[in-house]
Amino acid sequence: MIKLIKKMINIVLLFILVMLVITGCGGGGNSGGARKEIVFANAGWESNMFHNAVAGLIGEQVFGYTWTEVPGTTAVMHEGLLAGEVDVHMECWTDNIPPYKSDLEAGKFQELSINFDDNYQGIYVPRYVIEGDAERGIEASAPDLKYVWDLKDYPELFPDDEEPGKGRMYGAIPGWEIDEIMHNKYLHYGLDETFIYFRPGSDPALQTAIISAYEKGEPVAAYYWEPTWLLGTLDMVLLEDEPFAEDLYFDGKCEAPAVTVTVGVSNKFADDENNADFVEFLRNYTTSSALTSEGLAFMQETGTEDYEEAAKWFLAEHDELLDTWLSPDDAKTMKSFLGK
Amino acid sequence: MDWLYNFPFQLPINLGAVDDVVRAFSIKYASFFDVIRNTLAFLVNVIFYALNKIPWFIIILLVFVAGWRLSGRINNGLLYSVLLLFVGSVGFWNLMNETLSIIIASVIISLLLGFPLGILVSASDRADAIIRPLLDTMQTMPVFVYLIPALLFFGLGKPPAVIATTIYAIVPIIRLTNHGIRQIDEEVVEAALAFGSTNMQALIKVKIPQALPTIMTGVNQTLMMAISMVVTTSMIGATGLGMEVLIGVQRIQIGRGLLSGTAIVIIAVVLDRLTQGLVRRTEVKSDG
Repeated sequence: MIKLIKKMINIVLLFILVMLVITGCGGGGNSGGARKEIVFANAGWESNMFHNAVAGLIGEQVFGYTWTEVPGTTAVMHEGLLAGEVDVHMECWTDNIPPYKSDLEAGKFQELSINFDDNYQGIYVPRYVIEGDAERGIEASAPDLKYVWDLKDYPELFPDDEEPGKGRMYGAIPGWEIDEIMHNKYLHYGLDETFIYFRPGSDPALQTAIISAYEKGEPVAAYYWEPTWLLGTLDMVLLEDEPFAEDLYFDGKCEAPAVTVTVGVSNKFADDENNADFVEFLRNYTTSSALTSEGLAFMQETGTEDYEEAAKWFLAEHDELLDTWLSPDDAKTMKSFLGK
Repeated sequence: MDWLYNFPFQLPINLGAVDDVVRAFSIKYASFFDVIRNTLAFLVNVIFYALNKIPWFIIILLVFVAGWRLSGRINNGLLYSVLLLFVGSVGFWNLMNETLSIIIASVIISLLLGFPLGILVSASDRADAIIRPLLDTMQTMPVFVYLIPALLFFGLGKPPAVIATTIYAIVPIIRLTNHGIRQIDEEVVEAALAFGSTNMQALIKVKIPQALPTIMTGVNQTLMMAISMVVTTSMIGATGLGMEVLIGVQRIQIGRGLLSGTAIVIIAVVLDRLTQGLVRRTEVKSDG
């Protein structure tokens, strides 16, 4: 008898548990309807987070969303966008996402606008290597260094500690398409005779390599790109290359063109009627490399780590952007929030 | 009521100052860290050079013989050599040597430091109390937290990879040496001392042989830990199979990632079985 009661109790408990799980899930699944949360992709670099904060702030103040970020690598973020787990990707570096074009053509996600396409990338060296720095007491160690292929003559300036006698140039992040192009360039200009093409593995590693060399006043030759706080803060020179030509580019025989950086949204987000006005705003969202650097430099100078604060400052400083991005009424709402 | 659910205060910690101190430190003692970096680079290079100089079929033959003798079954030897043959035939032989040179260098350093440290810890309860939380920290601290400062000090590439791997892989050899010596029957040690052996003699002739199976398990675990760091260290520029995995994963080239991942698994399995064979042999010996 007691056993039977115990069994009954167990069954009832199990039933309650199952009901809880079902209703719990149901509650989560039905939470659509009105404004919800926008999930931005955070591929890991500053300008990405900055644009997220700018768009997020507007989404919050004008359209009544809340917003959050999901961190991950470029590839993971792109997959998230396709799967609808990421709603908006403010900075799709189209050249660094190999399947970008084919996925776009297949309609797996939507491209809303070009965020900016006036950026630089390539092999940088600190300015003191070429011109010296009287203030820090650094003499110019390679005054004739101007073009990428000039590097070939200076292996001893950029020593590689794994292969004595050779120089080291830091390439791009493995997996980015530009990495392959940079490697082709390295072969094309015969840099392989005197240099090692060193893949830094990740962006923090590459940054650390550049910064620690820069602070010690040592020469360093590394791939990097703008707009970044790194190149906004350090005085680096982009080594020149042959002018851009499309058919030479992939073989690394010419300079890298500006990468088109787009705003992408998932189909799930774009197809939702409720998001129509926010999507319309993103369609108008364009900035420039210089504008982005301005925002990042503000953060570096004031020492703040609050991207939202930077976004507020940026939008107040450039409130003309709001007129092109938003309808007059919405622009007014936003401006009054910014205290204009 | 907000303070009930949100923490009511926050200490004003100046994290920027920590950054500055670490950076200043790395610049001030740059020459010191350069010595360490060059030594490590030299060690890795020597091992890599040696591995590359051994013809591939000799290595496969050695693995075959070792697999056979250690397990006592010829099938095992065959299996391991076929697995290695696969790694070579998909074009990963040199990458494997590169990866192995990092692993071997880290294991050598781990054993050189970890084994004496384990003995030391086993002799003193106080040392044990101090070292234990340290070891816990080393095993659980997210790798990138100390990897990035390691880059400031040692640059990118194989030297910081060896350091990061050692920090992670040294833990089991210390723990298991300590554990192995502590679990020896006290009467055995007492008997040795009663027969007039010094503490040193008791350690070398009685304690260590008695603890050898456990210590060898520590060696095996250290090796496995070192292998598990291969992909992580590729994120700071360590070349080899880990870099292949990284590139494959970053580009969503599933095949490339899978193939190089499989090669790492093969290396791990072969090394694991061989060292476990060693463990078993020591067990047999110390029993008899």
